[in-house]
Amino acid sequence: MPPILRPVTLRELVVIRLGVAVNLVIGQVAAALLLPVFLDTIGTVLVAALVGPRAAIVAGLTSQVLNAVLSGNFTWLPFGLVQIVIALYAALAARLGAFRRLSTAIPAGLGLGLVAASASAPISYFLFGGVTAGGVTAVTTVIRALGAPLPVAVAAASYSTDLLDKSLVFALVAVVLRSLPHQMAVRFPMLAR
Amino acid sequence: MIGYVPGRSPLHRAHPYTPLAVAAGLLFLAFAFRSPAAVWAVVVAAAVFAAAGGVLGAVLRPAAVLALPTWALLTVLHGLLGGPPHLALGPLALSAPGVERALVFGGRITAILLAFLTALVTVAPPRLVEAMTARGVPFGRIYLLVSTLTVVPRMRARVRQIIDAQQCRGLRIGGSPLARVRALGPLVVPLVLSALAEVDEQALALDVRGGSAAGRRTALAPPADHAADRLVRWTVLVGVVAVYAWKFAGAGR
Amino acid sequence: MTALVTLERVGFSYPGSARPALRDVSVAIEAGTVTGVTGLVGAGASTLLLVAGGFAPRLTGGALTGARHLATERVGIVFATPWTQLTGLASTVLGEVAFGPASLGRPREAVLAAVERAIGDLGVAHLAERDPTTLSGGELQRVVVASILAMVPDLLVLDDPAAELDPAGADALYALLPSVAARGAAVLVATPDTERLARVADRVLALEDGRLVRSGPPGAVLDDTDVARIARAAGCPAPLPLDVAAAVERVVR
Repeated sequence: MPPILRPVTLRELVVIRLGVAVNLVIGQVAAALLLPVFLDTIGTVLVAALVGPRAAIVAGLTSQVLNAVLSGNFTWLPFGLVQIVIALYAALAARLGAFRRLSTAIPAGLGLGLVAASASAPISYFLFGGVTAGGVTAVTTVIRALGAPLPVAVAAASYSTDLLDKSLVFALVAVVLRSLPHQMAVRFPMLAR
Repeated sequence: MIGYVPGRSPLHRAHPYTPLAVAAGLLFLAFAFRSPAAVWAVVVAAAVFAAAGGVLGAVLRPAAVLALPTWALLTVLHGLLGGPPHLALGPLALSAPGVERALVFGGRITAILLAFLTALVTVAPPRLVEAMTARGVPFGRIYLLVSTLTVVPRMRARVRQIIDAQQCRGLRIGGSPLARVRALGPLVVPLVLSALAEVDEQALALDVRGGSAAGRRTALAPPADHAADRLVRWTVLVGVVAVYAWKFAGAGR
Repeated sequence: MTALVTLERVGFSYPGSARPALRDVSVAIEAGTVTGVTGLVGAGASTLLLVAGGFAPRLTGGALTGARHLATERVGIVFATPWTQLTGLASTVLGEVAFGPASLGRPREAVLAAVERAIGDLGVAHLAERDPTTLSGGELQRVVVASILAMVPDLLVLDDPAAELDPAGADALYALLPSVAARGAAVLVATPDTERLARVADRVLALEDGRLVRSGPPGAVLDDTDVARIARAAGCPAPLPLDVAAAVERVVR
């Protein structure tokens, strides 16, 4: 069976669960530091680097569902597509060695910010009229009030928040991977590549 | 924010898949329609759904709390800043197409929230697990959806511990934006590393309890799946497919 | 008596580690006995448990040398920290304990009977309807052991199981081990708690730097319980009394 199709092992399942839990909890850290970022894809990116793309997709989609269940805000559900995009991008970045140095991780994160915002802006615009998360939408409103057409406002708000958020996520994952004790790191064959 | 609330309504007693199917159906219907009247018919349907579960009062408040900021922004974004023609409402000039769009998008969000919050409140997680087990849903899927939520409180407690511990070591939580970004590392890295350190033991413990067992798991108390449940779920599916078929047929003309 | 596990000149190294965790260990574990394993931290006690139970290298990675014969697949393992061993899937203690037997696909009645027996043995029947996440560490550990016993393992492996229990709980847990062995299982327990081990073990294996340096009845192998040290200091001749009861007996004689 080709590697991409083999069933997930129990250990990988536990790692995926860890990624989802980190996604759900990390907002607490950002809030404590009063930083205007979500960081709620850090678990997905970590799973992408440690296990692989399929596991990361599962982590991302599960996080989307559980986030809705925990917060009650089920309007986030259609953005599952964005989670898939993030997972695949992160796995590719890991494969290309982007996480080995901060100087490569941060630009890669900026790249993800562009890609993720490009994926989420149309969903936000077409399905919800440009309105979903409070923070991003506030930025959208301000830009629109300044005279920009709605699609531009939605895009601009999406991009600016995503660029900051995703580059921080990539930087943090790079630091985490670098800090892994050797004996822990060897248990993740994906890291060797 | 809100969780399962016990009750004796038809929704509580139904097979757990049924309220979830209805909520999903309402979500698809909310996106199918473009006119305010049709979208708000879906909102009313969602409210009826909540009332059927005896939980309309219980879900209205969280739905309102979640939807209100969105409504406010919709009003500004579309109502005030939308294109012509404009209606005069006292001192304000509201954009007519903008108001219409706000009603559509706001209605969608309201319908989705009402529908899924109703499902959340009437489906008991243990019953859902039993239903999934009885249906042969792979263990991995059930594990991820259910077990993760029990891990979250412990992880949140650990975040607090790490914040306290690092502050004792001199980490400053406030300060310039750059300082706060730098503080992310010392908080996030220990959290992730300590969680990763437990992975081996957790995987072993799961394996020993039959986590990797290939055969069918015994469901101890599988919820009954009545004919009425199946009828409702099939109706939802057929209804959604019919609406979308009609929508695309109309668009093709 | 049949040997359930036989290790012949077994060595084991964890992945990424230059130093072998086990060197040249040969031992046979018989069914119906309680075997203790002691050693300083890093001496290889936990590793011996994982290798004997068939968990290493299957779930840990690493390299195994020598010959290992494990006559059964029904092995249970209990670790020191209760929280990492919960499945997270059960909302009641009953459900948590039932998870193992249910995973094996045993019929419902058999599962419930096994669960009832296990929670009775561990004295947690009064907690049956409680949510596992609300229990204290000691209660939770007993639930974890009950969960493993409900699967009726042929080999029960315990790694410092009473580390988080209070003295009374620890006593009760260790007192349970001979009765588990009496039912035909082999019990293998690693712990620094030499005093409690002395009371229940038929045989003790002492490890040092990955090698098996001593093996025999508790009196012959253990000489570092608090009581033994006091006795030695008092000039008591060998064999030293290992616990208070033995010491009292000596004094009285």
